[in-house]
Amino acid sequence: MAYSPYDWRQTLQEKADYVEDRLRGGSPVIALSCREGVLLLTLRGTQRKLYELYERLAFGGLGNPSDLETIRQTAIDFCHAEGFQRSPEDVSIQRVVGFALSPVLKRGFADPLRAPLVLRGLFAQVGEQATDDLFYKLNYDGEFSLQSRYAGLAGAAAAERQLEETLSERLGAAKSLRRAPGWQKALPPALRAWAVARWQARQEMENSESDENSAGDQASAETLRQPSERECERLLAAELEKGSLEAALLERETARAQRFRLLSEQELAPLLPTQQG
Amino acid sequence: MSVHVKGSQIGAPGDFARLLRARQIAGPETAPGLSVNRAGSLNMAQAAHGTTVIAVKFKGGVLNLADRRATSGGNAILYDEAEKILTLDDSTLIAIAGSYAQAIEAVRYLQHAFKYYARSQLQQMSLEGKLAEVSRVLRGTLPSVLQGIGGFLPLISAYDRRQAAGRIFFYDMMGARFETHEFGAAGSGAERIRGALEYAERRQGPFHEMSLDKALRETLLFLEIAAQLDAATGGLGRVLPLAKTVTAEGVADVSEAKLRSLQEGVLSATGRSG
Repeated sequence: MAYSPYDWRQTLQEKADYVEDRLRGGSPVIALSCREGVLLLTLRGTQRKLYELYERLAFGGLGNPSDLETIRQTAIDFCHAEGFQRSPEDVSIQRVVGFALSPVLKRGFADPLRAPLVLRGLFAQVGEQATDDLFYKLNYDGEFSLQSRYAGLAGAAAAERQLEETLSERLGAAKSLRRAPGWQKALPPALRAWAVARWQARQEMENSESDENSAGDQASAETLRQPSERECERLLAAELEKGSLEAALLERETARAQRFRLLSEQELAPLLPTQQG
Repeated sequence: MSVHVKGSQIGAPGDFARLLRARQIAGPETAPGLSVNRAGSLNMAQAAHGTTVIAVKFKGGVLNLADRRATSGGNAILYDEAEKILTLDDSTLIAIAGSYAQAIEAVRYLQHAFKYYARSQLQQMSLEGKLAEVSRVLRGTLPSVLQGIGGFLPLISAYDRRQAAGRIFFYDMMGARFETHEFGAAGSGAERIRGALEYAERRQGPFHEMSLDKALRETLLFLEIAAQLDAATGGLGRVLPLAKTVTAEGVADVSEAKLRSLQEGVLSATGRSG
């Protein structure tokens, strides 16, 4: 049987649908510039989700754990081989994402006979100043985009948009980057953005389930509503009950051999929303 | 499904040497293109020459001290600001004597190997594992030692969290590792002060009970003695030596100000100031 370009398109579409479907339930991941460096944050169950890649690079993502692991290992291998052969300075986020990862993902995705990797990745590079920090988002099909100040990943497009809008509103305008907030100050807005995205993704999931037999347009208009303060708090409280907050700092200046450090429970506890009732 | 480029995941996960081999990058643990074509002798003193590095325990950790002279061809001073004590990670220091080129390459390798393991395997490499990695690098330099074109000897100082104590290890050219209880020294000057170190320990009690200041004063004096007896060791007079400590808090530099204040004391006590 002949395999036509139409079939190929069809296959890719189905692969994309399959992946997006499975990503929807993922816990959002956020990275942002703060005074001390780059703050990364997510909520998780038992498995770690934020990782150090190299001297100035960190990675977080959502999707299938084993696929995330594959990407993480590939990135770490690339960074260390390059860093040893040349110098740690030569290992930059744009090389890791643009050359080591994206083409491989793209090749895998475009091959109809291979199962797609189910993941979206967030890569952060800490610079000498907050204005030098870089954030890359890498999609399962190999596409990537560059951002500064902050970047967020969520299981669905609308949720991700709202996540970043919330971050932008709450962190202030771009010009304030010269006086970036301390991480303790940046964490609550990030947590709030996480809740907004989680809430949004959940709405979408519910809608897509009920969509099957009702009109979709009205439902998608409904999903653009922002959750109220109260709804966010309730959602966070429920999620923190089930899992835990994972946050890491990629430090701009440090006397230690490693810039990356996971923030301890003691450091995070005072910043969590207080339990009500 | 293989997105992963040849691999680190097969066999020994987190093994940096394996990653380098898979990518055909020559690391110091392999010695490509070197064949031993004449019978050499393992002359350690000859291979690890031209310096003095000292490691002593003190209360809370290990102190490393090294002169900063790099020599070439036996008696020419090549450079006066060489750094012979380097940080491998937050709990491990390496002090090197011998071929600077090989040693620096080995240090770069070890730094990457430890971090590669920690980052990829999500756990720290054990102290045993780190020490074995150093042995492996030394075995890689063996052919060049036998050909008489290099070789180096490291002193490893580590803070062992399990024992809550500093530990010092030294190696021979073939990579055998030995633990020493109070102090270790390497380089051409080290041979000449070993007796002095031994004497000081017996007279003044174990180093591991000394305060950092006292240990620092003692080792500065040893370095000054080494410089007096060994032309390849820089003394305290012109360029300050380099000192680092490793403790439960991690690795730290001993400040220049502190070294300078003690330097004068040591020099005047030995009647060599000004």
